Amino acid sequence: CTDLDLEPQSSLTSDNAFASPDAYQAFLARVYAGLSVSGQQGPSGDPDIKGIDEGFSNYLRQYWKAQELTTDEAVIGWSDAGLSDYHDHDWTAANQFITALYNRVFYQISISNEFLQETTDEKLDSRAVGEPLRTQIRRFRAEARFLRALSYWHALDLFGPVPFYTETHPHGEAPDQASRQDVFAFVERELLAIEADLYAPRQGPYGRADRAAAWTLLAKLYLNAEVYTGQPRYGDCRVVCEQILGAGVYALTPVYLHLFRADNHTSPEIIFPITFDGLHTQTFGGMTFLTHAAVGGRMDAADYGIDGGWWGLRTTRALVERFPGGSATADGRATFYTDGQTLEIDALSDFTQGYALPKFTNRTAAGAAGSHATFPDTDFPFFRLADVYLMYAEAVVRGGGGDRVRALAYVNQLRERAYGTTEGTLTEADLTLAFLLDERSRELYWEGQRRTDLIRFGQFTTHGRWPWKGGVKEGKPTEAFRELFPLPASELLANPKLIQNPHY
Amino acid sequence: DSSFAPAHDDAAPPGATLPLREALLRLQTHFGIDILFEETALDRQEVPRDAFDAKQSVEQNLTTLLHATGLQFRKIKHNTFLIKELPAGDTLLAPHRPLFGAPVPNEDTAADKEPTALSETYAISGRVTDVRGMPLPGVNVWEKGTTNGTVTNREGRCSLPVSEGAVLVFSAVGFRPQEVRVANRASVDIALRENVLALNEVVVVGYGAQRKEDVTGVVETVEVQSFNQGAIVTPDQLISGKVAGVQITQNSGEPGGQTSVRIRGGTSINASNEPLYVIDGVPIDNAPFNPRGFTAGRNPLNALNPADIESFTVLKDASATAIYGSRGANGVILITTKKGHAGEDVRVHYDGWVSAATLARGASVLNAEQFSHLIREQAPERAPFIGTAATDWSRAIYQTAWGQNHALSLTGGGKHSGYRASVGFMDQNGILKTSRTQRTSVSLGLREDLLNDQLRLDLHLKGAYAYDWFAPLTAIGHAARFNPTQPVYDADSPWSGFYEEANDLAPKNPVAELALTRDQGQQYRSIGNLQLDYQLPWLTGLSAKLNVGYDLQNGDRKRLLPTTLRSQYTTHGEIRVADVTRTNKVLDTYLTYRRAFEAFQSTVEMTGGYSYQDFRNVYPEYLGFDFSSTLQNELGFDNPRYVRQTEHVTTVLANRLIAFFGRMNYTWKDRYLMTVTVRRDGSSRFGRSHRWGTFPSAAVGWRVNNEPFLAQATWLSTLKLRLGWGVTGNQDIPDYRFLPTYMPGDGRTQVQFGDEFVSTLRPNGYDPNLKWEATRSVNLGLEYGFWQNRLSGAVELYHKKTDDLLFEVAVPAGANLSNLILTNIGTVENRGLEFSLNSKVVARQRATWEVGLVAAYNHNQVLRLAGSVDPDFQGYPTGLIFGGTGNTVQILREGEPVNAFFVFRHKLDANGNPLPDGVDHNGDGVLNPADLYQDLNGDGLVNEQDRAPFHAPAPQMLYGLTSGGTVGPFDWSVTLRAQTGNYVYNNGASYAALSRITTEITPTNLPTSYAATQFLVPQYFSDRFVERASFVRLDNLTVGCNPLSRSELVQLRVYATAQNLFVLTPYSGPDPEIGNISGKTEEMRYGIDDALYPRARTFLLGIHLSF
Repeated sequence: CTDLDLEPQSSLTSDNAFASPDAYQAFLARVYAGLSVSGQQGPSGDPDIKGIDEGFSNYLRQYWKAQELTTDEAVIGWSDAGLSDYHDHDWTAANQFITALYNRVFYQISISNEFLQETTDEKLDSRAVGEPLRTQIRRFRAEARFLRALSYWHALDLFGPVPFYTETHPHGEAPDQASRQDVFAFVERELLAIEADLYAPRQGPYGRADRAAAWTLLAKLYLNAEVYTGQPRYGDCRVVCEQILGAGVYALTPVYLHLFRADNHTSPEIIFPITFDGLHTQTFGGMTFLTHAAVGGRMDAADYGIDGGWWGLRTTRALVERFPGGSATADGRATFYTDGQTLEIDALSDFTQGYALPKFTNRTAAGAAGSHATFPDTDFPFFRLADVYLMYAEAVVRGGGGDRVRALAYVNQLRERAYGTTEGTLTEADLTLAFLLDERSRELYWEGQRRTDLIRFGQFTTHGRWPWKGGVKEGKPTEAFRELFPLPASELLANPKLIQNPHY
Repeated sequence: DSSFAPAHDDAAPPGATLPLREALLRLQTHFGIDILFEETALDRQEVPRDAFDAKQSVEQNLTTLLHATGLQFRKIKHNTFLIKELPAGDTLLAPHRPLFGAPVPNEDTAADKEPTALSETYAISGRVTDVRGMPLPGVNVWEKGTTNGTVTNREGRCSLPVSEGAVLVFSAVGFRPQEVRVANRASVDIALRENVLALNEVVVVGYGAQRKEDVTGVVETVEVQSFNQGAIVTPDQLISGKVAGVQITQNSGEPGGQTSVRIRGGTSINASNEPLYVIDGVPIDNAPFNPRGFTAGRNPLNALNPADIESFTVLKDASATAIYGSRGANGVILITTKKGHAGEDVRVHYDGWVSAATLARGASVLNAEQFSHLIREQAPERAPFIGTAATDWSRAIYQTAWGQNHALSLTGGGKHSGYRASVGFMDQNGILKTSRTQRTSVSLGLREDLLNDQLRLDLHLKGAYAYDWFAPLTAIGHAARFNPTQPVYDADSPWSGFYEEANDLAPKNPVAELALTRDQGQQYRSIGNLQLDYQLPWLTGLSAKLNVGYDLQNGDRKRLLPTTLRSQYTTHGEIRVADVTRTNKVLDTYLTYRRAFEAFQSTVEMTGGYSYQDFRNVYPEYLGFDFSSTLQNELGFDNPRYVRQTEHVTTVLANRLIAFFGRMNYTWKDRYLMTVTVRRDGSSRFGRSHRWGTFPSAAVGWRVNNEPFLAQATWLSTLKLRLGWGVTGNQDIPDYRFLPTYMPGDGRTQVQFGDEFVSTLRPNGYDPNLKWEATRSVNLGLEYGFWQNRLSGAVELYHKKTDDLLFEVAVPAGANLSNLILTNIGTVENRGLEFSLNSKVVARQRATWEVGLVAAYNHNQVLRLAGSVDPDFQGYPTGLIFGGTGNTVQILREGEPVNAFFVFRHKLDANGNPLPDGVDHNGDGVLNPADLYQDLNGDGLVNEQDRAPFHAPAPQMLYGLTSGGTVGPFDWSVTLRAQTGNYVYNNGASYAALSRITTEITPTNLPTSYAATQFLVPQYFSDRFVERASFVRLDNLTVGCNPLSRSELVQLRVYATAQNLFVLTPYSGPDPEIGNISGKTEEMRYGIDDALYPRARTFLLGIHLSF
């Protein structure tokens, strides 16, 4: 007997995995899950990314940290080696959090590619897949391409020139590096190409990417085009924003804070969420991190629908002071928790220094607790209408054409919701770039936008100062090259074709 | 008797004789067989020169030769015959007079050979035992220089009429003969020393056995009489410190816990480094594996009762292990269990002991007074955290642990059969409260010679039922950190009346953890096989062997964590039940041909065969959580009524190994030896194009002492030079890693699509080109023995180079479906020198003293990790530490030892102490790492790039010293073990910093070592915490006595043993000896001292009883 072919029994081979028609949707779900969970066992177990504690390997958790801890909006008190590098702006290519973020972004691209590879016409023919499943799969493919474009956008935003590969790339080979311009062009091309195959705005099931999600991503790409490629595309940004707004299916959630509650899936404002659920979508990253890490000190975890604080995240006085009147502001968007907390931070590791900021909670708008006290039901509003309003306004102000009056009206809608009155209403003269940067922070703080915004406004490194920037209490300017993260050292070793970003 | 008619026309003149020894050697060469005999038994024997008949069978020739010698032969295995004196009751001790021709007097003793007149005789009685006091039946006793003799009976007794002033000679196979002057005594009691070297010793090797003196590989055997004694649960421990270059480390002090065994250093990084175990011919699956980490038992080897083991044979070099091909790289340990032999009397043995174990040395932490003083001084605002109690948490979690062991066996034999049956029961508590292990074992061994000894049948059946109580090991770390001013109990606490901290992330009350956790595992395991050895009738020397065996395991692990356990604040109770069924089937079949070519003075032995082994493991797991009840008494494992959420996952893993193997041994002139082996091995764990591998080996040996020019050097008993080379493999990696597979997600990783939650399907990463690790090794050895081997040993020099290292390596983004993929990359090297010495310092009748020393040097180095290396690349981080998520303190880097510590160089003050943190030492106006650590790369910054390799956890030198002896009825033995050059990262100390008191959410206790550093925040990566951990440990001290040595019927030995009596070390933590603390063979966490289950100091009283 020399038979050595043993068929796996508790996992599936690619040959038999697609025997069930449900497999295609399950595989697509896995590509979505790449944003929310960390492996095939919830809340942790059988991880996708290895070499780091699984809870830390979560996409949203790492993306959020890179986008927020490097800015004036958030500080974290934990002593994990390499974590304070984000505040200090002195990260190296060996930083494990940057490595995990990079790995997560490219993992998402890889499984999106794998999905596309397994759903080509030839593959479907060979498995005799017929209608109507084939039509469904066509839409699945468009969504997978959207998710791939989303991650390539993150890649080019965070890392600049990155390895580039699509579903035709052979297994096992190291891909070539593409310039930021080329990746930009790819993302743009893809988003335009998949438009027709996606659901019309809000016509698909909640959680799925539709045309408006693709448009919002396109708008973000165009808004930052000058940073990414040197070529401003504000006009294109404005046009795409108009497309979204013209769809007429989105509306602001009447109460700002309800956007961040356990039942926010009912919000008419969210264009594309990362969904979480206390019972079905569990992770120690994602919203579990965002709700728990923000609680400590005298805060009662139960007030936020969770079972305990992780004593990590607070904010700096820069964000507090961005609201007129500081923590006593009339702006309803401010959610500072000040009891037992100091405004100033002398020691980053002390949770009670710096105001706490329980923006995301696991209680519903009506105050009911979520389905699980550890794993919130709250979804992360990745793209939402208010962001589109502000992008539209910024594109207009930056000379992208359009209508300043209309822009002002959008901004004022946000202001009125924030204040509950017209107290915060602006005049056209107030609509400046400086105002818009601040307003984006007031509206979108802790939503993973700040680093990109600061870079676009030239305030991230050599300009801009906030507590603990550069590792000193009062903050200091940092080097311009920090606007890009380094490619991880392990990646440079594995792929000798890659060239490291300057100065790393 | 016509068969004695001269067979050759050219025969010597009738009546010519030659020494029996010579005749036997002639027979041995002619038939290519082994004849084992005891030199002295043959001393005075002469046989007719023409008694040899080449046309007759071996048996017929032997019958002829021995007919009148008072000797008989027994075939003990194929091609091996044992010559022994006739047992009592047979017609023996006929005068040693050659039947044919006149006696040829020996020149020296011619006078003595004259029959002695019996007129002046009187009767003397005697009793013969071995050195442990066990009676020796069948010992020949005769009056020196006469034919007057007898044989001892079952109790080792005899009586003989002797003449005045006679000298009695005692001799038995396997024992050194002794002469005793009677000197008018009425009785003579003597103890015979074993004289194993006088026999042509046979050692088991892979798929067969060889004469020890013909072995060209590095094969070391430790037999039962040399085993460590004491409260030993895990069989490995029996030979700890006994074999040069074999490091046996208990990973923790848990009763029956896992052991790390390294034979000549580790060869791999992500594949297992553990040796292959073969028990009575069945290679076993020894990884304590569960895909989700919840293993049913602590150590699979525990299923084997140490009392059933006869010997361990360690195959160390490739010449010996290449016959195991893809599983040989880490060495092979062959375990042989005790057997009964044909012709043996029925005997019953009982072994029993009781033991008490206490904590040898635990973590030293601040007491309540010191702790509250520190808070008042350093963080007065945190005074509310100071409680009113004074709790020694360490005292609260440890206990004096009692243990007991009983083993009962029955051995005996019929005319053509031998049998042994045994039962055993062991119950051992751990020093950490609630930890405990129990084992009930049975074994049956049967040996039967059939078809006129042409067919031998061996049957081994072993079964064990092990029950383990697992204590939550987190309690150890929690005891070190829990606030010592707080009480154990708090009547108002919602946590089952135990005091707990308000903050969820604070340490949990360790006493509550121990009291409330119910965590038990049970495992049935049976290992068995049937071996048939058939001597084919149509060609002398050709035999066919068949070995059919199995290794079955069935067990479960159940854990219940009630909602009132503090750690359950998120999951609200958890029941976890993991079942396991492992099935391992083995079939080996091979032919052996052995032939002597007298004309060429050559002996050839060839073996060739086929081996098949199939493993199928099924792991169903059930998880229930989120209880609706807080009443822990109502909750049971089988009561899912309270469970609100459940999950079921079943993992099925399978792999198969198929091999073709061959070996040739060639001996020329009994001096020049050669062994060539080759194995062609296939494994289902690798893809089609990499599935088969070839593992060759070749070795030569030179028995220098058999050279004629050394014939006069009687002081030289053994001198053998050996040189061996070979290639072995390692395939011990997870299954299916070469295949593209999809893994379904569970019910808690679903994705919301509208109102629906959709389960996911993930493509897994894989490497289609995965293949074995290949270890090439060379060994140069010298065996020596002087003065009848009273001083003997070996020196070995080796070099091992492992290529295609199986390593979970970072792959380029886009190349695969995970960031780390198990692949073949890199090279690791081990070089070493081993030395062993055995000395019989005193070998007298009433007193003996032996000393054994083993010493080994090993140097381990990563030679290569990847094809092209970025000069700034630091290496691959390994060695997760406690404190801060994902921090690592070791590295794999080219040119460094495996898992070298990777740390900053701490700047020192004038007194050599590390500079304190929080001070701007360099006066640059900022507090940063540059104040504390050296800028090693000189770039003006102190960052990750300034961490550098600094020592490694593997020892450079391993020593073992064994000594033992007897004085009258007393015996004693001692085992000392030492290591040097090994370093430990003291995680218990590095965790300590003032921030634990001042800024930790809840202040936690600190180790007393904090006083020496007084860091404000933890300096995890300071070289300060990489400590020298050389040590000398007194593993074992035993004193025994045989008080009833005069009893006829009952033999009794009582003994007392102390284990781990002391450790001498410069290491400041609890214990310098740290094994692999990851709990997984494929994941190494060596040399990191992180709240380990401490080793116990054990005292034991035991008896051995036989009748």
